[in-house]
Amino acid sequence: MQFPASAKPPVGIGFDSAMDSIGDVLALAMLHGFDGKDQARIAAISVSSGDLRAAQFCDAVSHFYASATTGPAAMFMRFTPIGLADGKPAAESPIFAKPAGTTTIKSVIDTADPATLIRNELMAQYDQNAAVVLGGPATDLANLLNLYGVKDWIARKVRLLCIAEDGLQTDAAAARKLFTEWPTPIVTVGREIGDTLPFPGESIDKDFAYSTAHPIADAYRAFKPMPYDAPSSAMAAMLYAVHPNDGYFKLSGTGNPRALVLDPDQKERIIRTYIEMASAKPVARKPRRPPDDKDKDKDKNKEEKK
Amino acid sequence: MITKKSLPRRTFLRGMGTAVALPFLDAMVPALSAATRSKPPVRMAFVYVPNGIIMDGWNPDYEGPLGELPRILKPLEPYRQDITLFGNLTHNTGRALLDGAGDHGRCCASYLTGVQPRKTVIDIKAGVSFDQIVANQVGKQTRFPSLELGMEDARQAGDCDSGYSCAYTNNLAWRSETQPLPPVLDPRALFERLFGNGIALTPAARARENLYRRSILDFVSDDTRKLETDLGPTDRRKLDEYLSSIREIERQIEKAEKDNAQIDPHMEKPYGVPADFAEHFKLMADMMTVAFQSDLTRVITFLVTHEGTSRPYREIDIPDGHHPLTHHRNQPDLIEKVAQINCYHVRQFAAWIAKMRTIREGDGSLLDNCMIVYGAGLSDGNRHLHEDLPTLIAGRGGSHFKSGRRIVYRKETPMCNLYLAMMDRMGVHVEHFGDSTGRLDTLDLT
Repeated sequence: MQFPASAKPPVGIGFDSAMDSIGDVLALAMLHGFDGKDQARIAAISVSSGDLRAAQFCDAVSHFYASATTGPAAMFMRFTPIGLADGKPAAESPIFAKPAGTTTIKSVIDTADPATLIRNELMAQYDQNAAVVLGGPATDLANLLNLYGVKDWIARKVRLLCIAEDGLQTDAAAARKLFTEWPTPIVTVGREIGDTLPFPGESIDKDFAYSTAHPIADAYRAFKPMPYDAPSSAMAAMLYAVHPNDGYFKLSGTGNPRALVLDPDQKERIIRTYIEMASAKPVARKPRRPPDDKDKDKDKNKEEKK
Repeated sequence: MITKKSLPRRTFLRGMGTAVALPFLDAMVPALSAATRSKPPVRMAFVYVPNGIIMDGWNPDYEGPLGELPRILKPLEPYRQDITLFGNLTHNTGRALLDGAGDHGRCCASYLTGVQPRKTVIDIKAGVSFDQIVANQVGKQTRFPSLELGMEDARQAGDCDSGYSCAYTNNLAWRSETQPLPPVLDPRALFERLFGNGIALTPAARARENLYRRSILDFVSDDTRKLETDLGPTDRRKLDEYLSSIREIERQIEKAEKDNAQIDPHMEKPYGVPADFAEHFKLMADMMTVAFQSDLTRVITFLVTHEGTSRPYREIDIPDGHHPLTHHRNQPDLIEKVAQINCYHVRQFAAWIAKMRTIREGDGSLLDNCMIVYGAGLSDGNRHLHEDLPTLIAGRGGSHFKSGRRIVYRKETPMCNLYLAMMDRMGVHVEHFGDSTGRLDTLDLT
């Protein structure tokens, strides 16, 4: 999403994941929750698995959260494309067993190359006002680092890369490149964090019940026989990326990268935030000014004053 | 008798203050010398139309071989085998990227430079445009490294869009990051630049001269006669057609000048600019044809009208300004008018393409050896979108392009990737340009 110059928005998040685990799905829901509550803005969503259905799912989720916006605001709403890596998925994920709703993605040409998408969207963020959350293998981010001149953009725009370590082993070479070349502080989230802070499955029937066709709840139910609690390392990475200074987690040691450390006193608060954000209702967006209206006059006056 | 002698490619017909370059003739190819057989050069041009396009009338609902074309592209249907349509090319640097309003200024300035221009009306800054990178390399072989043409308003100062200098909306080509190359608007000035001694006359001086004016062909008649004796029948016919086209351009300019003098002897418009849009376009197109045909240049940019223009189109019964119409807020009557303007532009372009096809050169046509990009820096002018930019290439770039099809790339594919592919075709090899992420693939014949 691109922003006018008028006000500094909350942190812009780029979320890249394989979207093949329910933790990734819940982290995506959380991101939309943060976005709806103006605690973060979605900069880019990309899928590293090469599974078209995963991209369609992400797109449908975006449309679901945009569904509360109607009228002129809807007319000028721009849906950022979903990034999708080349290649075929390793296995069919049950997450996508049920169609998630409206999607404009019919084939791979309706998606973007993740590296190009992330680069383009980072360029639209305020300096040091973006964070990247990695929920799967590092393939897409390694490709991003290969783009000409991109490291300067990353260093300028991104304050933090937050990595859920679960998916890294799928592409060890990409992970090595990422840890060697990524130009900002990195925070890793170990599997044990996700296991210690499980997302409670009972929340699905309770907190997501406001919609009879909730794509997140449907995916959760399809992923494994209910009831079950879901590991949450991608959610923890998302939470820390949005609120690094709000005491949800501590960090290990010094240097770069550093690892997320759980403060047992925060466990309940963290899980409460997981539920609140992942189950947040779609929020109606205010109408965006059409091009050439108010901004134009304002900018003209500014120039004249100069 | 067959010899290995050939006419030099850079032969001119000369006369008083006149130098007429020649088209590519068979006599320029040495006989029995396959190894040194010279191929016609590849040329490129950009025809830029402002304020976006009604994309529903531009994009076919299919990929692959071109069949029936949508409404706005309909005039190009007879020539669909000569065009390649591109989908999903994007100029991210035309977007706001925190600079607020001013999409018209940005999209034009970034169109060929691939960089985000500085938002200012004073200390302008963009980047070297890719046509100039090509011109710097291949331009040494031609009389003009590049030509910059336009049809409207060449103001270079002041605020033309929300704090963006008019230098951004009124130029396509940039020689350096602070030096745009203003387009020539006046067909007479362009004609004299192409064939004259480069001295621009005032309207009064030109009127005096016109009393005694003869065609430039009269000045080069001695050279023409001498050359004709050395040419075969095919080349003689080719030369005759070429010189006739120059004479026709002269007649059109003279007519425009006469018409202008009758309409308003004190008009501020450049002296030889036809009042009629289609006539003006045709004149510029005819001169672009001659410039390519005689290898006066291999690089042309043509800013049809400037970005953000509010020019009305009374020629087609549309008295409303173009730019205000494009902010149609989905009102069908306004959308219809914009579509008619879009179609009118394409009609003029199609007439040029038709002409380029008829000129034989080497084993094909002049068009075959060109890459003529027709496009805009915005897709949806109502919402100011910088993705899926309307883009087509007419010509085969010297038999490189497998034309007659629509290729849709993935979303966000940088327009600069197309530029890298085009630079390759022009023999200019650059690793990166603007925000490129690589070269467009699947452009080759094989």
